[in-house]
Amino acid sequence: MRTSTRAGAAARLLMAACCLACAACAAAADATSTSNALARELLAQLTAINTTDSERGNVTTAAEAMAQRLRTAGFPAEDVRVLGPSERKKNLIVRLRGTGAHKPVLLIGHLDVVEARREDWSTDPFQLVEKDGELYGRGTLDMKGPDAIMLASLIRLRQEGFRPTRDIILALTADEEGGSANGVQWLVQHHRELVDAQFVLSGDDYSVLLVKGKPLYFKLVASEKVYADFQLQVTNKGGHSSVPVADNAIYTLTRGLDRLAAYQFPFELNAVTREYYRRLAQIESGQRAADMRAILSNPPDRQALERLSADPVERSITHTTCVATRLDAGHANNALPQRARAVVNCRILPGHSPEEVRQQLVQVLADPAIAVNYQASDGTLTDHAPAVRGFAPPPLLPEMLDPLDQLVAATWPGLKVIPNMSAGASDATHTSAAGLSTYTFSPLSVDPSDDREHGRDERISVASFYQANEFFYRYLRTLTAR
Amino acid sequence: MTLPVRRLRLGVLFTALLGGAALAADHPEAVAGRSADALAHDIFKQLIEINTTDSVGNITTAAQALAQRFLAAGFPAADVLVAGPEERKKNLVVRLHGSGGQRPVLLIGHLDVVEARSEDWSTDPFKLIEKDGYFYGRGTLDMKSGDAIMAAALLRLKQEGYRGTRDLILALTADEENGCCNGVEWLTRNHRDLIDAEFVLNHDGLVGYSITSEHGVPEEFALSATEKMYADYQLAVTNRGGHSSLPRPDNAIYQLAQGLLRISQYSFPFELNEITRAYFERMAGARSGQVAADMRAITRSPADAQAIARLALEPELNSLMRTTCVATRLDGGHANNALPQRAQAVVNCRILPGHSKEEVRKELMQVVNDPQIAVRYLTEDGALADTAPEQRSLPPSPLLPQVLGPLQNTVAALWPGLPVVPFMNAGATDGIFTRAAGLPTYGVAGIAVDRGDVRAHGRDERVRVSSFYRGNEFFYRYLKAITAP
Repeated sequence: MRTSTRAGAAARLLMAACCLACAACAAAADATSTSNALARELLAQLTAINTTDSERGNVTTAAEAMAQRLRTAGFPAEDVRVLGPSERKKNLIVRLRGTGAHKPVLLIGHLDVVEARREDWSTDPFQLVEKDGELYGRGTLDMKGPDAIMLASLIRLRQEGFRPTRDIILALTADEEGGSANGVQWLVQHHRELVDAQFVLSGDDYSVLLVKGKPLYFKLVASEKVYADFQLQVTNKGGHSSVPVADNAIYTLTRGLDRLAAYQFPFELNAVTREYYRRLAQIESGQRAADMRAILSNPPDRQALERLSADPVERSITHTTCVATRLDAGHANNALPQRARAVVNCRILPGHSPEEVRQQLVQVLADPAIAVNYQASDGTLTDHAPAVRGFAPPPLLPEMLDPLDQLVAATWPGLKVIPNMSAGASDATHTSAAGLSTYTFSPLSVDPSDDREHGRDERISVASFYQANEFFYRYLRTLTAR
Repeated sequence: MTLPVRRLRLGVLFTALLGGAALAADHPEAVAGRSADALAHDIFKQLIEINTTDSVGNITTAAQALAQRFLAAGFPAADVLVAGPEERKKNLVVRLHGSGGQRPVLLIGHLDVVEARSEDWSTDPFKLIEKDGYFYGRGTLDMKSGDAIMAAALLRLKQEGYRGTRDLILALTADEENGCCNGVEWLTRNHRDLIDAEFVLNHDGLVGYSITSEHGVPEEFALSATEKMYADYQLAVTNRGGHSSLPRPDNAIYQLAQGLLRISQYSFPFELNEITRAYFERMAGARSGQVAADMRAITRSPADAQAIARLALEPELNSLMRTTCVATRLDGGHANNALPQRAQAVVNCRILPGHSKEEVRKELMQVVNDPQIAVRYLTEDGALADTAPEQRSLPPSPLLPQVLGPLQNTVAALWPGLPVVPFMNAGATDGIFTRAAGLPTYGVAGIAVDRGDVRAHGRDERVRVSSFYRGNEFFYRYLKAITAP
C-alpha cells in the first residue's frame, strides 16, 4: 500500500521546512514523525469505532481504547479515568501532572460523531481512507482529527518527560452532537474537581481559513452565539377550498414571515468581536478595511455597517440573526389549511436570552394570531423560552494568546490570529456556564467553502493534519513552559 | 332567458307555510306516499349496508341488488343492464319507457362512497342507523339517499303503470368519488345509445342535496346548472441553502412567502355567466338592504365595482363571481439549522366555466411575478407538469324551460315560497362528463341540509329522516312533472 510511504514523505517534507536551521534537527524530526504516525494511528482507530448516537454507536468503546493507549504510554492508572452517566456514553479524562505553578488547563474534545450512511459516501465513513492527499472518514474534521492530535501531543509530552508548569487535563467526551448524556455538562456538574482549570481550550473548530489554498487568518473562537429554535404557528378553522375565506392560516403566517425577513436585530459588538474587527481591518484592504474601522468608532458609521452587513458572515457577527428554516401547512390540497407552521432558527448574541428574542419576534411578527413558541432540542414546545443570557465573552488572556500569536507567526509567516465569535454552539457553552473561560481552536487548515463537517465525504488534508499535530504539541509546550 | 323573480321572505313566515303543504293523512296519494317511503327506506338501507368504497367495496354487488328489484317489479330484462369494464365496478342502467313523444331524460347517481373508518364514527358507517331524527351511515347524504330515491321513484311509477312523454333512464354508477373511468365517463364513451337524452338530472346536485336550510327551515333550492373546474398547482422555489447561522437575503421560504402574499392580494376578474347572473338576480329578491341592492348592481352592465367589492366579502358569493385560487399546503426546509433548499406550496383553484387550467397557470405566474417561483400543474395522481391542459371548461347548461318550469311548480307545491335559484357548483361532479358529452345537466335533489351540517366525506354523515322522505316525494313528483303530456 502506498499510503504509508506518502504519509512519511509528507511528514519529512514538513519537518525539513520547520527544522532546517536546527542543530538537533534529526532528533526533532524523528520525534515529529513518530508523533505524526501515532496521531494518525489514533485517528484511524477512533474513526473505525462508530461513536454515533444511534444504537450502532458506542462512545465508551472509544474512550476505553484511548485510555489503554494512554496507560501503555506511561500515564499512571489513577490519572486515566473513564466515567459517565450512561453505559454507552462514557468520557475519558487524563491528566498530565505539572509543577503546580499555575492552575491547570483543560483541553476538551468530543468523541461522538454525527451519523453517516455508507450509501451516501464515496468511501466507508467508518474507515480512515487516504486518497489524493486527503484523509476521509466521519469525524476526521469534527472532531476525531483534533482528538487524535490532542492525545498524541499529551503522549509526546509525557514520553519526553516534560513537566509543565500547570496540569494539562484532557477530557474526551460524549453527546456533543446530540443525545441526552452530554459529557462536558455532566463532568462540570458532577466531577468539577476532575476538570477544574484556569481556562479551557476546545479543539472543536478548525482555525486556519484557506481561500484558494492560501491561509487567510487563524481563527480563535472566544465567544459563541446561543442557538434557539422557535416555532411560529397559526391555526384556523379551515374549510372547503372551493370557498376561500379572507382569514387563511397560510397567508397569516406568510405575512408574518415577510415582516421577519425585513427585520434586522440591533447592531452590537462585544470584546471579542471588537478585537475581531480591529485585527481583521489590518488584513483586509480598501473599503472593507475602512468599514471595519468605521463600525468600531463611536457612534458607529451607519453606512459602513450597512455595507458590511450585506456580507452574511459579518452580519452574523454584528447581529443576532433569526431565519425561517422550515415550513409546514395544510392537510389536503382541497381543504383550507387548519394549521400553518414555520421554524425560525435564531443565533443570539452573547448577553441576550432566548426569551428576549422570543418577545422580539412576537413584536416583529406583530400579529397575535401567530403563536411564537420556543422549541427545545428534543422538539418540545413551550410558550416561554429560557431567560438565561448567553455568556459574555471571556477576556483574551495573554498567557493563552501570546504563545498562540508567536507560534502562528512562526508557522505561517504573516498570518494573524483573529479572535472570533462562533455562530454555532458547542460544548464551550457548558464550560462557560461553569465559569471557565473557554477558547476554541484547532490548527487544521480548511477552505470554508469546502467544509464537510456533518456532510458526506468529510475529510482533512494529510499535510494539514501533520502540521496541526506538530503545532498543537508546540503550543501546549510553550503554554506550559512558563 | 330570464326567470320569474320570487320576492318571498325567508324565515319565520316560511315555517308556517310549510305546514300547509303537508298532505291530508287520508288522501289516497298520501297512502301511496307512505308505502313509497317504505320502499325508498328499504332500498336506502340495502345500499348503505353494501360497502361500495374504492378500497374494499364492490359496486357491482349494489348494482345487481338493485337490478334484482327492477326485474322483480316487472321491468323487462332488456331494460335492466348491469355493465362495466371492471368486475368490481359495474354500473346499473334502467329504462322506464314513455310514449316517446319527447326525448328521454337521463337520471344519474353514483353508487360509490368515500372511505369511512368505523373507529372515527359514532356508529357503524356501513349500517343505516336512525337516531334523533337522522339517518346515519356512509352515503346517507352523498349519495345513496339519492340513489334510493331515484330507484324508488322509477319503481313507483312502474307500479302505477305510469306512462310519461319521455323515457326515463336511470344510471347508477361507479368511480365518482375515487378511481377512474368506470362510471359515467365509461358510459358516455362506450354506451352513448343507452344513455342518450335531451337532458340529465344529477341527484348529486351540491353533494346529494339542493336545499340549504337553517335549523331545518329551507332557505333556497339551488338548481345546479354549471360547475367550476378543479385544478391544483405547485409553487416551488429552490435555493442552494446553507448553514442557518449565516442567513442570506436569498431564502426559499421568504421568496415563496412573497409570492403567496401576492396571490392572497389578487382577485381574478369578476365574471358572470348565464347561471350566476340569474342566481344574483333571484337572490336579490330573497335578500334585503345593501346586499340586495349590490346584487342588482353587479348584474347590470357595466357592473358596479364597489358593489362587487362589498359582495366579495362574503366568501360564498365571491366564489360565484370569479375564479378563486388559494394556498392550501406548505412544505419547506429539511432541518431546523439549515437554510431551506426548497420551499413549496399547493395552490388550489376553482376555475370559472369557459377558462382553461393553463390559462390560470399563466395568470398565477403573472401574479406571483417572480421567475424563480416555478408554477407547475399538479395532476390528480400527484404528478407535476410544466404546463396544464389547455382545454376550456364547459359552458353552463342553458336553463331549459322544460327543466325549470316543472321544477318551480314542484318546489312550490312542496315548499311554498322557497326560491329556486340557478347555481354554479364550486365542487366537481359527474356532471362534467355528461356536459362534455353535450348533454345539458342539472343538479336537482329534494333533500335539505342545514348550513354548516354538510357531512359528506366526513364522519357521522347523516340526513334528516323527514328530509329524506320529503326528498323522495319531491323527486317522484318532479319526474312526473317533466314527463307529463
